[in-house]
Amino acid sequence: MAGKEVFALQINGTRREIFAPGDATLLDVLRDDLALRAAKRGCNQGVCGACTVMVDGVPVRGCLTLAGACTGREVTTLEGFADDAAMQALQEAMILSGGVQCGFCTSGMLITARDLVAQTPVPDEPAIRSALSGNLCRCTGYVRIVEAVTDAALQLARQKDTKREAVE
Amino acid sequence: MSFVVAPQTVDEAIAFLAANPDARPMAGGASLVAMKNARLIEASHFVSLARIEALRGIGPSAAGGLRIGGMMHHRQIAECADLTGGWQMLRQAAGLIANRVVRNMGTIGGAIANADPAADYLPVLACAGAEVELVGPDGLRRLAVADYLVDWYETALEPGEIVTAIELPAGGDGPSVYRKLARTPGDYATVSVACAREGAGPDSSVRVAVGACGPAPIRDRDAEAALAGRLHDPAAIAAFCATLAEQADPIDDVRGSAAYRLKLIPRMVAAAIRDVTGDR
Amino acid sequence: MSIAVTIPPEKLTGTAVGKSTPKLENREKVLGRAEYIDDLYRPGMLHAAILGSPHAHARILSYDVSQALAAPGVVAVITGDDVPDGRMGAFIKDEHALAKGKVLYQGEPVAAVAAETLEQARAAVNLIEVEYEELPAVLSPEEGLAPDAPILHENLDAYFKVFDAGSKGNLCSRTELSEGDVDSAWAECAVVVEGEYTTEPQAHVAIEPCGALAEVDAQGRVTLWSANQSVFRVQANVCESLNLPMSRLRSLTPRVGAGFGNKMEAHVQPLTVALAMKTGRPVKCILTREEDFEIVRARHPFKVRMKTGADAQGRLIARDCEVLLDCGAFADDSPGVLGYALLMSGGPYRIPNQRARGKLVYTNKLRFGAFRGFGNPQVGFAGEQQIDQIARKLGIDPIEMRRRNMLREGDGWFAGPKVASNGLARCLDAVEAASGWARRDAISAAPGKRRGKGIAISAHISGLLGTGAIVRMLEDGTIALNTGATDIGQGSDTVLAQICAEALQVPVEMVSVASPDTDGSPYNWGTTASRVTYTTGRAVAGAARDVLRQAMDHAAEMLDVPVDQLELREGGRIAVKGANVDLPFAAISARAHWAKGGPIVGSHSLVFDEPTHDPKRAIALGLPFPRIGVFSFGAVVVDVEVDEVTGQPRVAEAWSAIDVGRAINPRLVDVQIEGGFVQGMGFALYEAMVWDGARLVNPSLMDYKIPTSADTPPIHSIIVEDPEPNGPFGAKGAGEIGLNPVPAAIANALTQVVGGPLHALPMTPERVLDQMTGQADEQPQGQGDEA
Repeated sequence: MAGKEVFALQINGTRREIFAPGDATLLDVLRDDLALRAAKRGCNQGVCGACTVMVDGVPVRGCLTLAGACTGREVTTLEGFADDAAMQALQEAMILSGGVQCGFCTSGMLITARDLVAQTPVPDEPAIRSALSGNLCRCTGYVRIVEAVTDAALQLARQKDTKREAVE
Repeated sequence: MSFVVAPQTVDEAIAFLAANPDARPMAGGASLVAMKNARLIEASHFVSLARIEALRGIGPSAAGGLRIGGMMHHRQIAECADLTGGWQMLRQAAGLIANRVVRNMGTIGGAIANADPAADYLPVLACAGAEVELVGPDGLRRLAVADYLVDWYETALEPGEIVTAIELPAGGDGPSVYRKLARTPGDYATVSVACAREGAGPDSSVRVAVGACGPAPIRDRDAEAALAGRLHDPAAIAAFCATLAEQADPIDDVRGSAAYRLKLIPRMVAAAIRDVTGDR
Repeated sequence: MSIAVTIPPEKLTGTAVGKSTPKLENREKVLGRAEYIDDLYRPGMLHAAILGSPHAHARILSYDVSQALAAPGVVAVITGDDVPDGRMGAFIKDEHALAKGKVLYQGEPVAAVAAETLEQARAAVNLIEVEYEELPAVLSPEEGLAPDAPILHENLDAYFKVFDAGSKGNLCSRTELSEGDVDSAWAECAVVVEGEYTTEPQAHVAIEPCGALAEVDAQGRVTLWSANQSVFRVQANVCESLNLPMSRLRSLTPRVGAGFGNKMEAHVQPLTVALAMKTGRPVKCILTREEDFEIVRARHPFKVRMKTGADAQGRLIARDCEVLLDCGAFADDSPGVLGYALLMSGGPYRIPNQRARGKLVYTNKLRFGAFRGFGNPQVGFAGEQQIDQIARKLGIDPIEMRRRNMLREGDGWFAGPKVASNGLARCLDAVEAASGWARRDAISAAPGKRRGKGIAISAHISGLLGTGAIVRMLEDGTIALNTGATDIGQGSDTVLAQICAEALQVPVEMVSVASPDTDGSPYNWGTTASRVTYTTGRAVAGAARDVLRQAMDHAAEMLDVPVDQLELREGGRIAVKGANVDLPFAAISARAHWAKGGPIVGSHSLVFDEPTHDPKRAIALGLPFPRIGVFSFGAVVVDVEVDEVTGQPRVAEAWSAIDVGRAINPRLVDVQIEGGFVQGMGFALYEAMVWDGARLVNPSLMDYKIPTSADTPPIHSIIVEDPEPNGPFGAKGAGEIGLNPVPAAIANALTQVVGGPLHALPMTPERVLDQMTGQADEQPQGQGDEA
């Protein structure tokens, strides 16, 4: 086990001083040191996806990322998407669809879905199912989660169209 | 000194590893950190290769083929438009690793260093005739996949060495295919087959490698030569499949029994050959 | 006195029941602000780590904890010597808080450390030395029943048991049920089918691992938060194992990251409390995913021998079912699973002659226990395949075969329970129509694939045991509901609020739901047995009626009219019938609080008390639950595709209809159907915990796979409503029925596609390929298929 170290991370737009074991994962630091607990520890092996967060805008597993390897990078957790329109659309759709049951997978699911709608504006069902396949949910059977992402993506695409028309 | 160090160049990384024998190189970390979390490995330092620019990029190799930097992520390989024809199978294999998020983390160099026999790249690289480029304190060397893999989870990688790149020979027009059976999407393979066609005429042949059925992918160049020009001959294909199955050394595990793997080899190899010949 | 109505008119949504109200706590969940057990921290809190047994069966000779105690950050170490001789268990009290005297399975907690950090606790665990005398292990029920078998529980006779278990040696319990005359009935049958079926252990894999946090106050009273399905079962288990009066322990719940049976009985709560009592400091213990696989509980592996006979018209005449269950090291809910599986072994059919017998045997493995379905999916896997087999032999369509034989309203269930409401016929109609069953042969498979449809039906109870509700009218006329039922994510807080809102004709937004707390909530046996909507819903409706009665009395005095001339109106107003005169709850509650009568508190308690067994009808021995519940019904059709190269099966599409009496919240019922389907699909196709001798080889999500979004099909959920006469607004349970028939439906589809039979779960690509290529004769469970 490595001893504790001091380092700084850029988390949700703010520089945070960290004093943590050198081998701490990003998930350990977020949850235990910074009290950012939207990301969950479901397996600590990178399989369940409940700890998914973004590093430099790319979704990664918090439990497979060493905090010490994130210096100089921008870490964004679900808490950091509070003012993000796309995330809000996904959150509202999840609330309405029934895609939230126990909620333990929800945070990671939303981060992955947020990346999907950014990369693929109107993903079809197979694309959504493929993209979310690394975020395990044991409650819903995925039907309503897929529905929520579909609805949110369509809504976001419509908003974009409306804005474009307004500009034109 | 921090537990995680992030050198900017290959030389710095090699020097650090040489000076710290209990340090471990870390590529994407997807497997390594999982092992750390499970308390399966210990290290004085993790030497992150993430900031070494020279380990990135996909482009022409000096030998006229393709060079893929060791730190290229699975997702980048899965999305690489240059991987067509005989290289298409590599793109397919990368896209079947784990899932979208883990593909953002894992790298081809890390996967090859880890050398899980059920992982996806090795059969494709064996099929493609790729070479693994290693750099260590004694300099650079390139090994064919068959020479790189020594035994179950054992490679020719020496302490202090890192996988810097993969070099593929010219891929040809293909087509090529990667077939994988897994319990669920993103699982390691129960059995996998990489297959590429050489040439288009009546003399055309295939290159075939079988994964997850022994310590290293199974490839038999003599059998491939014997099959050349007989890609539509069921008896010849059956004989070819039987030859590969004879060389398999599968295990019983939670992904399937050894007996099932032995049954699958001829079925999946024949199907892969049909994929590249267009036969039904 | 007049008080303005505080409810804005736009909130007056009318009736609450039947609306797909989003769950009350969804927003905190999508914002990542819901707090689960591992999100809780207390000042001065210590972290716990557990030492597991390296042996499957051994006597503990001695402990040496000196090195661990001296390690950095360690505050306390506990072993079996630190816990009293109390034993816990739902049916048979056979389990200590921590291994004491003996270890009974590999991984069983033997000692635990509390330290300042989790890392320190984990490091110290490895410094504990335990001396063992290894004993021969029992690794299967058959081994356990052998005459010279090593005995796990040497004092089994002395254990407290809640029923006539017939325990002896390693036999934990046995149950037998029969009605009619099975042995003579075979002679009346034109067709008889017979087979052996095996199922493997399934892990629950709630994405949240189990955990607990305990602290002891200055008076020595314990407060305990934990991931649970019942704060009251937690209280009972901790107090029984640690010899504490229940009044000395307060059990609470944070949000729960799902439970499918695994969080109903104890996991780490007893040892966490023991550590908190020893240290005097708060202690948190969260299992790793691997520990969660290794030391909590799992679905029972079953061996089922079943025989079914019918006459030439396809009318079922007789069924005989014999099961052998691996109990694991502790009884836990196993006797209940055995009894329930036998009770359900006939399926929802009229079968005049039935017999079901079973044995439950202790082995040196992880305890097996409650898992959504509770034994029903395993016996259904056998029974529903036999219905198809008979139909095939007689040339009857599988749906028609089921129609001819299904139970009707007013029929009795096997052994005697009444069936009051029964929407099964409508479930069958619905899936038949929606799936295009009649045209099922016309659909062609993609190149390289084979394709076919299969059906299975099921019934499940909702009910069991005691529950209470307290409804209070607050000063401003809004409502506080307190039931003690843990919402594990399925939405019971919302559903119960809807029932309460409906009964009082107020918007759901005006009802608050208290978090379960053994100090303040009325008893609730638990979130299990598909029971919360049905039993707790009845208690809520009763408590709301109590509140309404009191409110009416106030209104009668305030308006000076007799009660029988008053009526409840939407928005929470009591009005004079036929007149434009009314009083809002706010005015009534203000009077009660400040002037007359005292605050309005309504309550209602009940215990499900209709007998399981009718002695005039059937003979029963060792029945673990004398009173069981009401019946929900379901039917599922699956469209399955098989890869011709590998044999890998895939469910392409599914239609699942369930009769829930009345859907209080239809969307939440949909999700029960869909989630249950997918969990059943995993059980059917690839989920299996595998042991190599005494060692569990796949305790990780790398090696144990559950379904992902990419291999699950579109699922068409269909809600059928046949109101249950005494259910709240007609509702009955929806939690388990959607899972039960899935393995059998997939097996029936695969039999169509590859020529079956598939008598062993999981139906792996290997097993399917062997059937497809005619190489399946090595499977012993495939033998003796048709007699």
